[in-house]
Amino acid sequence: MILKNNLKEVRQKKGFTQEELGKSVDVSRQTIISIEGYRYKPTLELAMKISKKLNLKIEKLFYFEH
Amino acid sequence: MMLSKKEISILIEIIFAISFAFIFMPYFYENNDNSLVLMDGLIRIVIEILVFTAIYFSVAYSLLEFVYKKRETKDERDDLINSKSYKVGYLLYEFSLFIFIGYVCSKMNFSFILKNLNNEALYENFTLTDAGVVFMILGLLVFISIVKSLYQFYLYRSI
Repeated sequence: MILKNNLKEVRQKKGFTQEELGKSVDVSRQTIISIEGYRYKPTLELAMKISKKLNLKIEKLFYFEH
Repeated sequence: MMLSKKEISILIEIIFAISFAFIFMPYFYENNDNSLVLMDGLIRIVIEILVFTAIYFSVAYSLLEFVYKKRETKDERDDLINSKSYKVGYLLYEFSLFIFIGYVCSKMNFSFILKNLNNEALYENFTLTDAGVVFMILGLLVFISIVKSLYQFYLYRSI
């Protein structure tokens, strides 16, 4: 099982840049880039902060792919 | 290849360790058969190391701050990368401790055997000196520092 996410699509749909989203959840732009590229798995705290900021349920944003 | 401020600060550390190895290590290598008390210009080289370190880091970090004015947030990804690279550094440190103990013990053993065999020429080569110990410690520290920083840089590029 691989942890994937819709972060890039949702972020773009909501009109946020990587820089803006990163700033609003206290992480760097590089961290957002890494999450979008599935290279970095965020902690639960960061995942919840991002989903709250994007006004989306966490399971809609992050999901397992078999 | 665009590098972030954090990546450049790691490169600054790597360049420092390599410069240190090329500029100052030859002096300790040439004198590793001596005693520290008998080493010519030891105080001068220690002062040079301190001055070089202070000037190098002041200039390098001032330039970095000047070029990258924007403040970079330190977040959980940095913590993960730091913990992984410091773990490698710590493992290398533990491993190098074994090498160091092995080096000291082998020198002591060989010098003892050679002294009993009255082999003066070889005995001189296997005598443990305090300068030799300092050279060994500095060499291992530089090596660990370079490997740790290179791994940290690799993680920043790959995670």
